[in-house]
Order: sequence, then C-alpha cells, then structure tokens
Amino acid sequence: MERIDASEARDHIEMINRILAESQQRLCAGGEYFVAWGVGSAYITVLFQLANNKIVSDSALWSVPVVLVLCALFSIYRGRATRAALARSSLVQREFFNVLWLTIGLAFVSNIAVYMIFSGIASAAIWSVAEAIVLLYIGMHGNRRAQIAGVLVVASLIAANFVSRDIAGYVLGAGMLAGYAGFGISELLARE
Amino acid sequence: MDELLLSKVRLGVVAELLSFDWIAFSELARSLDVSNGNLGAHLSKLVEAGYVDEEKSFVNRRPLTRYRLTKRGREAFAEHVSQLQSLLEAAN
Repeated sequence: MERIDASEARDHIEMINRILAESQQRLCAGGEYFVAWGVGSAYITVLFQLANNKIVSDSALWSVPVVLVLCALFSIYRGRATRAALARSSLVQREFFNVLWLTIGLAFVSNIAVYMIFSGIASAAIWSVAEAIVLLYIGMHGNRRAQIAGVLVVASLIAANFVSRDIAGYVLGAGMLAGYAGFGISELLARE
Repeated sequence: MDELLLSKVRLGVVAELLSFDWIAFSELARSLDVSNGNLGAHLSKLVEAGYVDEEKSFVNRRPLTRYRLTKRGREAFAEHVSQLQSLLEAAN
C-alpha cells in the first residue's frame, strides 16, 4: 500500500486549491459578443438622441431594428460556431452564458415588444442595466476588467439621470461603448 | 486514504473535473501539463474504478473524447481531501 507524508499531502492540497481557483476564473466571455452588442446598443442610443435633438430625421430610426437583428444574427452565428467549445465548458461558464442570454434577451424583448413603457431614453437605459448586470457578474468571478467596465456602465447610467435630456443618450452611449464594447476589445486582446 | 488518488496526476484530473460538466481529453492534458500517453493511462484507471465517465463522439468530423466526474468519484475525492487535511493537521 502506498503511503504519503505531510509534505506530499500539503503539496497535493495546494495543487487542488490552485486548480479549483483557476477553473473558477476561466470564464469564457467571448469578446466578440460584447463588441457587437456594445457598438450596436451605443449606435441605437446615440441615434435616438440625435433624432430627438432633430439632428437626424426620424426616418433614420428604421436602421434600429436592422442593427438589432444584425446583432442577434451575429450572436446566433457565433453561438453555432462555438458550440463545440461550449460542450467542453465548465459549469460556471455555462451559468455565465445563461446569465448573458437571459439578460440581453430580456433587454432585446423590452426594446422590441415593450416600447410603450420603455420608450425613448428608458429603452436605452434598459440596455445599460442589462450590460451592467452581465459585466458585474463576470467581475464577481475575478475578472478585474469586467469589474471596471461594469462600474463605467453604471456610472454612465447615474450620470445620464442628472444631465440634460438633450445629452442623456450620448452619456449612455458612451458608457456602452467604453464599458461593454471596451470590455469586449480588452477580452479579444487578452486572448491574443 | 484512497490509493487511486495518491497519484498527483489522478488527483489533479479529479480536481479539474470537479467544477466541469464534461471536459475534453485535450483540455485536461493542457490544463495538467502531462503527456497524452501518461494522462490516458491515469484516466483509464479512474474510468475502471468508476470515478470518471468517458464519452467518445465526433464534433465537426473530429473525434472528441471527454470525461465527467461520477458521484462515486466526487465522494471519493471529498473523503480523500478530508484525510489529507487530517494528516496535515496531525503533522502541525
């Protein structure tokens, strides 16, 4: 029968702790999603603000559903392309994807089907809330960049509440770009 | 102590599988930094003991062998870690 001494036991326990800590932090964020949805939501938010300020005509708003559908199609395409990788993902990664899809999905539905309640700046704010939830959830698992990005989005939400209605959309859009899309770019750079 | 888990590689495999649903052979080899032959031999013992489930399939026409920790393996791991900690406490 094999024996083990205290020194080896300590070595084994340390290895287990290291493996468990690493597996919790390996949250596959998929930078492309964040860039696509960050840029898409910022575009829509800024466009609404421009239309509201009469800088562009209301006819330009027809591009909004097109951008939303493009973002959704991109997500579906990427989801299919990464299906094999997802089959190998950890439980915490799967949980992350569930949070991501539920949050972004609900924001999508709110914009498409609940536009009477979430109209104008409120619909943009819904996106910011959804994006902040996703980023802070990733941040909770030890991703410092996601924590910073999440705080940026929340800060843009709070700032938008206090600035003039003529620029609130720009503030929210800046938060989406710097926070959500910015986090996606940082993930892509980190992957390389 | 569980003799099967006295091997550092096998203990590492079980620890890796602990927080995963399924994990591919290649992922395990990369995470644990062991050769394919070495890992394969250790995994066979874990599968044989009923600690780990093995599934062979094809993804995009490429073979994929993946592994999952069984309830028995999870219980054996918990018991083994508890005994390791007892040994450490006794030594301190």
